[in-house]
Order: sequence, then C-alpha cells, then structure tokens
Amino acid sequence: MSGLVGQGVARVDGRAKVTGAARYAADSEVPGVLHGFLVMSTIARGEVVEIDTSQALAHPGVVAVYTHRDMPRLVLPDFPYNRRFIPMQDARVHHNGQPVAYVVAQTLEQAQEAANLVKVRYRAEAPVARMEDVLDEAFLPDMFRNRPNEIARGDAAAALERAEVRIDRTYSSPMQHHNPIEPHTSTAVWDGDTLTLYESTQGVVFTRNVVAHAFGMGRDKVRVISPYLGGGFGAKGPTYPHTLLTAAAARLAGRPVKLVLSRAQMYTSNGHRAEYRRRLQLGATRQGVLTAIVDTSTAQLTRIDEGIYNGSDSTLHLYACPNVHVRQMGVRLDLPTSSYMRSPETTAHFGLETAMDELSYELGIDPVELRILNHNTVNPRTGAAYAGKHLLECYRAAAEAFGWARRHPRPGTMRDGDEYVGWGMATETHTYGWIESEVGLTIGLDGRATLRAATQEIGTGTYTVLSQVVADELGMPLDQVTTLLGDTTYPSASLSAGSSTMPSVVGPVAQAARSAREAVIALAVADPRSPLHGVPAEQVVAEGGRLFARGDLGRREGYRDVMARHGRAVEVLGRGPNTPGHSFGAVFVEVRIQPRLGRLRVSRVVTAHDPGRVLNRRTARGQVIGGVTWGIGFALMEHTLVDPDTARVVNPNLSGYLVPVCADAPPVEALFVDRPDPESEIALGARGFGETPGTGVPAAIGNAIYHAIGRRLRDVPFTRDKLL
Amino acid sequence: MRAFGYTVAGSPAEAVRIAARTPDSTFVAGGTDLLNLMRDGAEAHDHLIDVNRLGIGEVALDRRRLRLGATARMRRVAEHPAVRREFPVLSEALLASASPQVRNMASIGGNLLQRTRCGYFRDSASPCNKRVPGSGCPAITGHNRGHAILGGGDHCIATHPSDLAVALTALDATVGLLGPGGERAVPIADFYLLPGSTPEQETAMRPGELITWVDVPRTSVAGHSRYLKLRDRATFEFAVVSVAAALRTRGRVVQDVRLAFGGVGTRPWRDLRVEAALRGRPLTGQAIAEAGRLLVADAKPYEGNRFKVELVQRALVSILSDLGGLR
Repeated sequence: MSGLVGQGVARVDGRAKVTGAARYAADSEVPGVLHGFLVMSTIARGEVVEIDTSQALAHPGVVAVYTHRDMPRLVLPDFPYNRRFIPMQDARVHHNGQPVAYVVAQTLEQAQEAANLVKVRYRAEAPVARMEDVLDEAFLPDMFRNRPNEIARGDAAAALERAEVRIDRTYSSPMQHHNPIEPHTSTAVWDGDTLTLYESTQGVVFTRNVVAHAFGMGRDKVRVISPYLGGGFGAKGPTYPHTLLTAAAARLAGRPVKLVLSRAQMYTSNGHRAEYRRRLQLGATRQGVLTAIVDTSTAQLTRIDEGIYNGSDSTLHLYACPNVHVRQMGVRLDLPTSSYMRSPETTAHFGLETAMDELSYELGIDPVELRILNHNTVNPRTGAAYAGKHLLECYRAAAEAFGWARRHPRPGTMRDGDEYVGWGMATETHTYGWIESEVGLTIGLDGRATLRAATQEIGTGTYTVLSQVVADELGMPLDQVTTLLGDTTYPSASLSAGSSTMPSVVGPVAQAARSAREAVIALAVADPRSPLHGVPAEQVVAEGGRLFARGDLGRREGYRDVMARHGRAVEVLGRGPNTPGHSFGAVFVEVRIQPRLGRLRVSRVVTAHDPGRVLNRRTARGQVIGGVTWGIGFALMEHTLVDPDTARVVNPNLSGYLVPVCADAPPVEALFVDRPDPESEIALGARGFGETPGTGVPAAIGNAIYHAIGRRLRDVPFTRDKLL
Repeated sequence: MRAFGYTVAGSPAEAVRIAARTPDSTFVAGGTDLLNLMRDGAEAHDHLIDVNRLGIGEVALDRRRLRLGATARMRRVAEHPAVRREFPVLSEALLASASPQVRNMASIGGNLLQRTRCGYFRDSASPCNKRVPGSGCPAITGHNRGHAILGGGDHCIATHPSDLAVALTALDATVGLLGPGGERAVPIADFYLLPGSTPEQETAMRPGELITWVDVPRTSVAGHSRYLKLRDRATFEFAVVSVAAALRTRGRVVQDVRLAFGGVGTRPWRDLRVEAALRGRPLTGQAIAEAGRLLVADAKPYEGNRFKVELVQRALVSILSDLGGLR
C-alpha cells in the first residue's frame, strides 16, 4: 500500500477545473441544439386563464412556445421528485415563479426575449405568504419518508415539570436559498425512444429514475450525464420540473433543447430552506444533567406538500437525556415546496445549541462542561455503545487550541479597544446516509486502472478521494488511476447528498480494487512467462504499479506486463453495505463587536471534528472552511424576502440575497481526531462528514455575541440593527 | 433582453447628435449596471451609444478644482494620488463601492446614474412607480430595509445607491452636461430630484443629455474628509447607512463642516441645517448629537428601516468624533 489515503492529496481534477478544461453540463455541445427559456407565473395562487403566444411566436428565431395545452401528459413521480405537481400539466398555479410556458428558440437571447412577450392572463386568488399570519393553523403532518413527525422518549412533560432548572425559549430562522454558483441546467437529446440528459444533478441515478417514471419509459432508455457540478448544496438533490419540462419540450420540438435557469428562476424552481419557528424547553438538575427536552417546531409547508426537510435529529441523539419530546409541525403557505439545503439539521441545531448556552448561564456551568456532562455514548440506531465516537476529544482539542480556558464567562468583560470580544462554542453534528452502491473497475491492457461509478463530483473531491482508494488498494501510483463519475451507464451509485457519498461508495471501490488486484495477481502466478509464476497468490504484494513476491523482491513485474500478456482487460464490480450514522465535532468562535454602530465580525474560528478516518486532509479541511463560511452566512446575512401581498421573492439575486464574501471569512483552524470508526469499517473507517462542519456555527456565533455584549439573539440573521 | 443596436461615438458632440436622432437610445460606458437592468427587464433601450472613446476620461487637478471626466473608471479615480491627498472622502467612497472587478469597468458618469437597488424596481413583474408610473409602491408595505427614511412619500421610498454621489454631494460638486441644447453645469444639490409624485424622474438631466465631467472645488475642508459606510456584509454591498464628512476646526471650534448621507434618503442626502448647527460651535458630543437629531427630525421610518433613525445619528457621531479627534 502506498498510503495515499489520509494524505492531503491535491485534487486530481483541480487543473481541469481551473483551466476550464472540465466540461460542466451546460458546456455540452450538442449539434442542432435549441435553447429553452421558461415563462414564470407572476401570481402565487390561482389559474391561468389565457396565454397569448402570438407576439412571442413572431419573434425572430422562435421555434415554439409550449403551454399546458401542448405538453405531453406525464406521470407524477414520487420522491425524489418533491414538488407534488408537474407544472404545465394543467392551468393551476401553486406558487409565484412557477413555469407556465416554455419558449424554444435558436438562441438563448431570442428565447429569453420571446419569454417576455408571452402574455398570460390569470384568475388570481389571494395568497398566504407569511408564517406569522397562520401560526394558529399549525398542524402535525403525517410521516415524511417513513419518519414520524412526533417522537417521544420517556415522559418529557412530567420531567420538565419536576426539573430544578428550566429554559423555555423561542428561536426562528428565515427562508434561505442554496445559491450554487452553477445554475441548474438540462439539455435533452432524444434519439428515437431513448433520452440523454446533460444535467447538473447531485444524483444521476435519481434523475434517471424520476424522468423514466414521469415519461413512462424503461430506466434503460434514459441516460443522465453529469461529470461535474458547480455546487449543489441540496438544490440539485431532488429532481425538479425544469428537467421534465425540457425533456418534454425536446420531444415536442423534435430537436435537442438546452435550458439554463436564470438566477432569479432558481429562487422558485429548486427548493429552499423553509422558514422555521422553534420552541425549546430544557429541564435540568442544578448539577447540569439534562432531564427533559421538548422541541416543538413549526415549518413553512405548502398547500400540497408536507415534507419536513429539516429534522430535529440532534435533539434526539446528541445528549443523554431520558425524556425527549419532538414535534415537527407546519403551516401551509402559497410558496414553492421547500427542500433539503446544506446541512439541513443546522436549522434545528441552532435552537438546541443556543438553548444549551442559555442553560449554561442559568446554571453557572461552563458551556463546554455542560455538554461533556450530558455526553451521549449510546448509538440510537443500534442501542449499543458507539464503537468510535470521539466527541469528548473534539471538545478538548478545540478548546485548547482556541484558548478557551482564558475565557471570563461574564458577558461584556472582554474588550479590545472599542470592540467587545465574545467567545462562544457549540457542538457540531449531522446525520449521514448510506445508499446502496456498485462500482466497476477495469485494469486495461496498459496496466492502468479505470473506476466507473454513477455517483457525482459535487465539488467535495470525489474524483480525488476515490482515486486515492483505488491507488492504495491496487498498489498503483495515483496517475495511473482514472476515475469516471456522473453517468448512468456506469454502475449505479450513491446520490451526492446527505453526506452519503463516501460512506456509500468507498467500500465498494476498495472492494473492487482488492478484487482487481487479486485477479491480476492470479493471472501472474498462473502464467509461466511471469517472473511470479508459481508464487502463492497471498505471497504477492503490489506497490508502485508493480507486483512483488514477498521475501524475494527480485521476482516482480508491472501490472502492465501481466495485462499485456493476458491480452484481455480485467473487469470487476464492487459492492457492500454500510449503515447510516452521525459525525461529530466542536466549533469555537470569536466575534468582535462595536455595538455603537452594530458592527460585528467573526475574527477567529477553531474546529475539531470526528469524521472517523480522514480520507483526504485537504478536501476535509475544505469542507470545514466551506461549512464555517456558510454558517456565517446563516448566522449573519442569508435571508430570502417574500412580499407579503404577492408571495413573490423580492431579492432573487446575489445582489439582494447576501452570502459571505472572502472579507467575511475568518481564519479557520481545522483539527481532526482522525480515528477509523469500526462501525464504518467497509468504508476504511471513514464516516459521512460533508454536512457536519457548520452545523454549530450559527449557535456558536449567537453564543459569542451574548458573551461579548450580553444580548441574547434568537432570530437569525443577526443583522446590525439587532446589535445596536 | 431585447435586441438592441450599438454605435461607438467618437466625440461628445457626436454622441449627443446620435442620441438626438435615435429614439429609445441611451449611453453606455462600463455597462455594469445598465446591462443588468436590461437583462432583468427593468430598462429597455433600442440602441446603445458607446461613450468610452469620447476622450472624456481625464482626472485633472488645477488651482480651483478637481475635474473627473465622465468615463474615468472608478478605480483610476480612487487610486489617483491627488484624489487621495486632497479629497480622501472621494477615494474612500469609491473604494467602499462594489468590487475591484466592477470598479475596473464602471465609469464616474455611470456611477452617478446607477439605478436604485429596490427589489421591486428590479423585478419587472412587480408594481413600481419608478419603473411604471402609477403602478404603485409595494415597498411601503413590503420589504423596506434598504429604503429611505428621508425624502420619500406615497409614491416612492427608494434610496439612491451611489456612494460616490454622497461624497460629491458633501463636497459641492458640479455636474457638466452636454445635450442638444448645448453645454450646462448643474450643482449636484440640484442634480438629484426628490421623488414627489414623479419618481421616474430621478435627475435634472434633460432628454438626450450626456454627463461629460464632474468638478469638485478645492476647498480648505475637503482635504480633511472621510467616508463611513455601514453595510450588511464586509464588502461588495450597498450601504445601509453611510456618511461623507469633511471638517475643519480651529482649536475645537468648527470652522467648516460638510455632511452628506447615503442609505437614508431618496437622493444623496444633505441638510444644511445640520451643518449650520455645528458651524461656529465647539465640536462636542452634545453638539453632534443635537445636529443628528435635526437630521432625523422629519424622518419617516417604515417597519423594516426604523433602526436607521438611530443608526444614522450614531454614524454621524462616529465619523465626526474621528475627524475631530474626539477620541
């Protein structure tokens, strides 16, 4: 083994990405392609009465304008299509910014301008746009994806009643949008009854399945290609209407059609993080032992969808509390369906980790100490002790690196010039998934390895990490390994969402590479022309692209020699189950506040994480920096504004919807415990990790603000006006 | 975006001539705002006249004034040694604007004519009295964090987004215009109009007129000036509240003071009463506080921008305290 796994190997696709050689979905060059553009509804609720397409059709270059009257009837797919309706199948309007017509033209500019010329007349009904107007109509939705929305353990109400110390607080977070830099795009190419889609999707297999279902086609008749993503953050996890509509338009037009959503259209087309209200009641002994947690949340739902995408998971598993009651309620609004958005559990976790800080002050116990006191060692999935949970070590390592021991707990006591300095912390955790995956590995006649898997490079480093695993298991230099991803012609592998790519795919990849190595060794030792002929297979080791006889290193030859003689490629499949679980960590934050002007900056962040084994230090650190930065966005600025009268997004662009820029991003010291988790042995001890960093950042910032100026903020974003 | 024609003009006179004979035309320099407005459908023009090659991009200082050519780039002006030395508020206002990439492209004239960031104005499907006169103003009852507490009315409460315009307002700049009727100069105090019942009319410019230069007089006060910009992230964002201030004191007594405010008014906001309240008095916390109260005496805040009433007063205290050496 060359020991690449764990090292900070540079991205194998880095050069292609920074030079523009990497071809993203919309870069696909399809001969004869037409350009699509969507016409979006300008009302939030009601019906299309009339669509006048005459002006649009007269516009130069326009090939067709399709409406609900033209579209083929499609079958409504289930999850991971989560819209509960397909636009343009009928006249109904469910939200503002819903597709009502589809323009196809020779150029993008022609399609865009023709879309402006489509005149739509509506019968409009007054929409409900604001949660606060309907909070008294909150209800408990049915199960969502086999998960109940009310979960109780012990008797939380009674325990809360008896608790020596109680906290009862309400928190809120607004509607937010993913905003990947690469817009959603779909290019549909029909060839007879088969369809090829060039997509920007976090799951080529999911997309294929949804499209095949909607069009009543066999899955083998649909191919989805998505070699790179310019970010997804959950917005490209489920499959969305624009993909179905583009496939339908291409079929009607009899020509390939390419669609790229505009930035504004992305605010109503691909889900968002729902607005939330959350009441948290904590009960504890005076010594700081949690005795009750009641977590009652209300999410923004729609009239047709009851999906709860931001689970209160950390409330259920993070702390050892015998009495827990979680209720995930919702209210119905006339808005687009929400969805998963970068580390969905952050939404609930912000409340829990802020409440824990409030409890620590109520008790006079250090916030780190309070968390250690309530540390949970039982894996909720198995009911047995976690085999490899090192959260306590994360607290210790991050606290030490941060200098937490020097913190004076009383708010407002740390000053630097005209700035108040605040130190806050929070636990980080997120669930990761496991999705059944298969991969194919080929050793070619040139002795090089090619891995094929229908999973994705969402930007986290999938190409790199899988190549490292292959290289290590084969004993082959990294540059002799090629990894191919994002194509449904490859074996079906994990969605790149829910932090599930690594725990799902690494095991099958390692297994395939081991099988391939064994197959090549078997060829060598059986071949009289090989220097290794007759060596027992288990005595052959592979390193640097060569096979050696253990104890007689003079007997050796390269993969290429074996393969060239053999004359036929070695092809193997790898698979193998893993289980879902959680990753953990701690985040410590320093803020500097000048309350006179409400000026706040996050000046320093230290994290320590326990993701099981770290497969690549560099990409793992990248996840931490990204997670912390998005956490700053969540805490300080991100906020989708919806007009109260029209239920229309008011800031659908990166000028109005603020995300952090470089100047907002502080130095981040990212520490890792880096110990393999026996429960994820198949994945070389690595757990899913991507969504864990950042989950604690909003609470840690709020806690640091309280420490700095003694003001407890419970409603994100913490904008300047709240600090005055 | 509608297809449009495009002509490169070779001189200011030619640009104005082309504009006069071309209906639905407008001038384009850096295009950093105009093209976005056209893409979003907030503006539509049949023809763009490129003014980048008119020879009006100079930055020149003489005995009386600083002249900024209309097509000088933001970056060049911001980094010009004379501007930094003698008009620091201009340099600071420019460097606090947009991003380096935008500042490399955007012109001084275009900066003064950029349109409001009001989300309702920029969304062609929303009503907006500025974009479609008479259609209504949803910002008054909707989202108005970015909107004005001064100078608004029932028709419009949008703020002007330019930082440069705020600084120029404080320094009594003059805008040079060339149009079908010839050349004229408009003091910046008269250049931006209050919305009244015609919010679509934002400036005193007449149809077909082109900004050719901006003059900033050399004064004894401009060299001691600053720009304070408060916003919702560290950079690349418009002001929630900003203040341009220039101050000259003798002893502690204010000899001269110039103040203009951004993010709070429907135009770059200057209130001479505020300056008068400070002039001739010792610069004290109390004097500044009284001036600040005068500034917001007629403020009309809305649900989302109520905090600006307090914040702009604090910003005034902060910048004058710094300039006056009060701390």
